Amino acid sequence: MKTSKALSPIARITKYTLIDEVRQRSFVIMFVICALCIFLIRGCYQGNYMVNGHSLDAGTVVRTVSKVTFHIIGAGVMVITALLSMRIFRRDRNEGMQSCILSKPIARWQYVMGKTIGLWVLSVLFMFILHSIVFLITSIDLKIFMPEYLVASLLCSINLLFVIIAMLLLSLLMPDIVAFMCVLGVGVVGFVADGIAAASQSQIAQAIVQQSGGHPQSDLAWWKIVYFLWPKLLGVQQVASSLIESESSHGFGPAYPLVNVLLYCLILGVLLFKRFRNEDIV
Amino acid sequence: MIELKNVTKRYDSLTAVDDVSFSVKSGEYFALLGPNGAGKTTIVKMLLDFTRPTSGSLSLSGIPSTLAECRQSIGYLAENHHIPPSLSGWQYLLRCAELLDIGRPEATDQCRHIVELIGMQGREDAKAGTYSKGMIQRLGIGAALMGAPKLLILDEPTSGLDPIGIREIRQLLESLKGHGMTIFLNSHLLSEVEKICDTAAIINRGKLLVKDAISAIVKDGETLEDMFVRLVKG
Repeated sequence: MKTSKALSPIARITKYTLIDEVRQRSFVIMFVICALCIFLIRGCYQGNYMVNGHSLDAGTVVRTVSKVTFHIIGAGVMVITALLSMRIFRRDRNEGMQSCILSKPIARWQYVMGKTIGLWVLSVLFMFILHSIVFLITSIDLKIFMPEYLVASLLCSINLLFVIIAMLLLSLLMPDIVAFMCVLGVGVVGFVADGIAAASQSQIAQAIVQQSGGHPQSDLAWWKIVYFLWPKLLGVQQVASSLIESESSHGFGPAYPLVNVLLYCLILGVLLFKRFRNEDIV
Repeated sequence: MIELKNVTKRYDSLTAVDDVSFSVKSGEYFALLGPNGAGKTTIVKMLLDFTRPTSGSLSLSGIPSTLAECRQSIGYLAENHHIPPSLSGWQYLLRCAELLDIGRPEATDQCRHIVELIGMQGREDAKAGTYSKGMIQRLGIGAALMGAPKLLILDEPTSGLDPIGIREIRQLLESLKGHGMTIFLNSHLLSEVEKICDTAAIINRGKLLVKDAISAIVKDGETLEDMFVRLVKG
């Protein structure tokens, strides 16, 4: 009884957040453009691809193109989610909804929780629909069914939760655009570092290191610690995409990126609630 | 109903509210008066837990203002009230009802009654972006009345309104008298306060100067304005 009483305002704020965002013209335009771009990739499935003089079979082409698209959608929706989250508190404040909600018997943590869940549901649906378009194209046009594609999409939703919590927290501490750039920076640095780490583990890179007389560093350097602790957003995407085609993810075990990002969500979430509790409502 | 005990609020070196204590009884029409920057809005914000006091305590119906439960039967109208421009007046009122956990059929009934009370029949379905300042203010009072609150906190309800709008708001507040509601009115429009309220407190530079029945504060031959100027100018 007590739990349902506490959950009811959260559910209402979640609903209002969803409705208000979907009503925004910019959101609808962004969604339509993204959906159209996904439809355009249909042409990529019909090309002839040659590797070392051998033509690739249709199944390999479909899976490879689908995986590339999967990563592009994942990264793109993260940026869109950051854009959606960056003005959420400010808009509520300017339109009087924050003081309206918090003058009712609603605790601040319920308000923040409602906003976070609303944005999360919206961005997960956004990404899931885009991934579903790819799934439908491969299923209907190319007769290749990849239900694991949709499971992988849901797994990537952890990244979106990280982006939302980080954006909400940073938007309380700094101007919205600076907060957006910071979150974008965390993502880009993580993607580049993971890319370099993956490339350095390739056979070619190992051979180059050995030829030049060097040996791979095995001692624990500070940059290794930073790299290890950095939010593993690409790691989560790789774990998710490994479901599409049975392959191992690069670098760490499959659980580490998930644990890493979930821990960040937890820590940032606690900081967000603590920060908002001390926020002056205008 | 409302109790402030030795409340102080400091913003860095500025003391916005300085050791203020007073109480407001249930059913009272109370006005908090003071010049601009006296600390009136800060007191209202502390009552609603929008900002925390540096020291002292505030309670509503015996419940500390820091607990969400104390806002169960409070209606609030903010200074410079806003409504999301994408919502219609009706949708806004319905949201306010839902946030108070009022079921849909009862919420619809209450919204209909409030629309009538604030004289917005026929305009309730228009987007808030098309409303005048007076209409938004009336809608704000309507939203504050949702759920039949026991306490109505109004922060400058006539701010930015023309004389007709001010009169309409006054008539609306007067019509609520006799419903057993407590009103906490934060205003610097003394003529309006004199017509509506029974008791008043005057603060200046964060300090409480006086708190009593208006009839007891105002001396013979004086108006509330004369008394206010005399007290504030010292």
